[in-house]
Amino acid sequence: MLVPLDMLRAGEWAEVEEVSGQPSWVGRLAELGIRQGCRVQVLQPGATCLLNVAGCKLCLRGGECSQILVRPVSL
Amino acid sequence: MPTATITVALVGNPNTGKSTLFNALSGLRQRVGNYPGVTVEMKKGQLTADGVNFELIDLPGTYSLAARSPDEMVAVDLLLGRRPEEPRPDVIVSIVDATNLDRHLYLTSQLLDLGVPVVVAVNMIDAAAAQGLTIDYEKLSTALGVPVVPIQANNGTGLPQLVRTIRQAAHERKIPQPVEFPFAFDEIIAHITKELSDQVPPVLVRRLLWDVGGYVEQWLLAEHGERLHHLLAKARDQLAAANCPVPAIEARTRFAWVRQAVAAAVTKPAGRPITWTDRIDAVLTHRWWGTLVFVAVMFVMFQSIFLWAQPLMDQIDAVREWLAQSVAEALPSGPLRALLVEGVIGGIGSVLVFLPQILILFAFIAVLEDCGYMARAAFLMDRIMSRCGLSGKSFIPLLSSVACAVPGIMATRVIENRRDRLATIVVAPLMSCSARLPVYVLLIGAFVARPGSPAWLPGLVLFAMYMIGFTVAPLVALALKRTLLRGAPPVFVMELPSYRRPKLTAVLRRMFDAGKAFVVRAGTIILAAMIIVWALLYFPYIDSNGDSYPARIEQAEEAAAATAERLKELQAIKNPTPEQQAELAELEDVAALPDKLNGQWKRQSLLGRVGLWMEPVFEPLGWDWKIGVAAMASFPAREVIVGTFGLLYDVGDVDPGLVLDPSTDEEGQAKVASLTRAVQEEWAKDPIRGPYGVPVALSIMVFFALCCQCGATLAVIQRETKNWLWPAFTFIYMTTLAYGGAMLTFQLGRLIVG
Repeated sequence: MLVPLDMLRAGEWAEVEEVSGQPSWVGRLAELGIRQGCRVQVLQPGATCLLNVAGCKLCLRGGECSQILVRPVSL
Repeated sequence: MPTATITVALVGNPNTGKSTLFNALSGLRQRVGNYPGVTVEMKKGQLTADGVNFELIDLPGTYSLAARSPDEMVAVDLLLGRRPEEPRPDVIVSIVDATNLDRHLYLTSQLLDLGVPVVVAVNMIDAAAAQGLTIDYEKLSTALGVPVVPIQANNGTGLPQLVRTIRQAAHERKIPQPVEFPFAFDEIIAHITKELSDQVPPVLVRRLLWDVGGYVEQWLLAEHGERLHHLLAKARDQLAAANCPVPAIEARTRFAWVRQAVAAAVTKPAGRPITWTDRIDAVLTHRWWGTLVFVAVMFVMFQSIFLWAQPLMDQIDAVREWLAQSVAEALPSGPLRALLVEGVIGGIGSVLVFLPQILILFAFIAVLEDCGYMARAAFLMDRIMSRCGLSGKSFIPLLSSVACAVPGIMATRVIENRRDRLATIVVAPLMSCSARLPVYVLLIGAFVARPGSPAWLPGLVLFAMYMIGFTVAPLVALALKRTLLRGAPPVFVMELPSYRRPKLTAVLRRMFDAGKAFVVRAGTIILAAMIIVWALLYFPYIDSNGDSYPARIEQAEEAAAATAERLKELQAIKNPTPEQQAELAELEDVAALPDKLNGQWKRQSLLGRVGLWMEPVFEPLGWDWKIGVAAMASFPAREVIVGTFGLLYDVGDVDPGLVLDPSTDEEGQAKVASLTRAVQEEWAKDPIRGPYGVPVALSIMVFFALCCQCGATLAVIQRETKNWLWPAFTFIYMTTLAYGGAMLTFQLGRLIVG
């Protein structure tokens, strides 16, 4: 099941399946580790959300989050 | 004897301790390099070790070499030796965070493409050990194909080894092996390079192909036009067909390479331990607790700016006064003395008086940023700030501007997005700064807080004046982001770094840099503006009889001083006789003469004449030429209006500080009271300002709330944007806004009162 990233609740893990949008920021997100096949954890959902990406905390504006499709995983 | 200089560029992600390493290596031998046309600054430092000179360049922190703006391109150009003012680096030091090699080595892999020897410095090995990571540096070096040195930059561990490795790398000139890309890719690169007639290095051709919409593409398309556009589109289609889609192929290939290297060299403990940072973050990024802590931190910060800066500012003022007095006594009266005392010393004083606020604010910013809190604050405030098209990073600069726009604008350096930064800079002067306070207090005291009016009214008016800034600034920001600074919504991605203890030397350095930048570069422009206004109010200083005003004022002052004793005696008499009354009236006139002459002089000065001539412009605002001149004279610095009002209303110069705190000084109290009275009396006689005193006062206050009457602010905007367009734009839009707002206030007020 694919869902937009911003539909995850706090503490949930997911695997990034697809990042769409402007190529330049898809590239930027990839540099920061948000790209296909990566595991992310939502630390704080919301308009500006807080993610755990490979042990790093990233904060991301909500509008962009919805263009990131993920597959929720349970650990 | 040093034989040759080795140029070394330091490159790394933000928050890798790159600046700490730079400072540790170069100590105090630093300077700032500026580049024409861009707002970035790069720090340069020197180091001598074992008889070899090293020239270090600290590049701005970046996650990749994919340049999106001219600012980011400077770093790439510099690394490729394409900046004429800088030599190509002999060695690139790639600084990576030991606790997050997976991500940081991505940039390293891009650096390997540049054809320059690379040395990898793995920083924060202590934190990695604390997390249970073990790194085999030899295996890592083999996997990466370049030397790797473990360091702990904040205590100097590994630095001698790093310097030796850099020297050896510069000596050997071993070009690293770039990460391998699919064969289809290399072919296309070769083809495009040829099409561009070998003018562009292959590294940049790769960036052209990968960075869709990036700066290299913009730049080369502007140069080569349609033909390149087709070529690119075709090449990208070809790659997509060969299962190498752009831009995903770069991240995919590089991260695969990084993962291999890390897998070979790093042993991770099973499961990520909960770190200190996680525990603190549970509170500090919490929606409610975090916001509460943030409000408390901000309160402490501004309270300290007000509390600690005031005594220092008073001292600077005292020194200025003492200097002015000494010069006044040492020189004969005349234009030269007036220039030195009022223009130069007064001007320098008004520059330096900002310094305590700037230093204290930057001490806070440095501490909050170095310990990692600033990113949390920006995260918390982003929800609110995104409503007006800005990001969380704009919050602190805007809030700082309530104290003073000058440090506030300098604080926008933390905003990486150029459009956000410009929008923040341009609206920052709308926040009600502390220099507006004397103006508000004077006018509220004279017209709003009158006997019979409700006690809460003055407070409400003052609050309303502050609210003007708080509401107009976001609206202007939003309007700008929708028009002039429109662009793709910025990607707001921000890393929250681990908490770290700030270093005192780094904090002191930040304070010193900010103070120096302000005094040296903004100060000169403010000084020039102050001298111009001084001259406009000074010349011509000869009256219609050919006598000089300064000389007449001096005579009148001597006469007043000679009779001052007698005047006091007469004033003390409870029931004076008619003769005594007549003498009293006469002596009071003598005492008032210097101020009266000064008023006459200012009226016929150049600025005074312009004011008279421009009176029709001020009429819709309910102003007469005196208010107009006072407002114009206060364009370099708004607090000047209080003093100018004093001059024009014949009560002599009034120190704006006295308006806020008259209790300490009896003479000052009398002076403020007499200015308040003079303004009230004059206005009472006037057909417009008599019945409509309150609307006129409000119109002046609204004008001051919205207008950019601060040479320092404009100078700092110029300094920060490296462009005269932005200060000019700020000045024009704010003056227009102020004029419109003041007119609206007066006309509405007149309707209501009438």
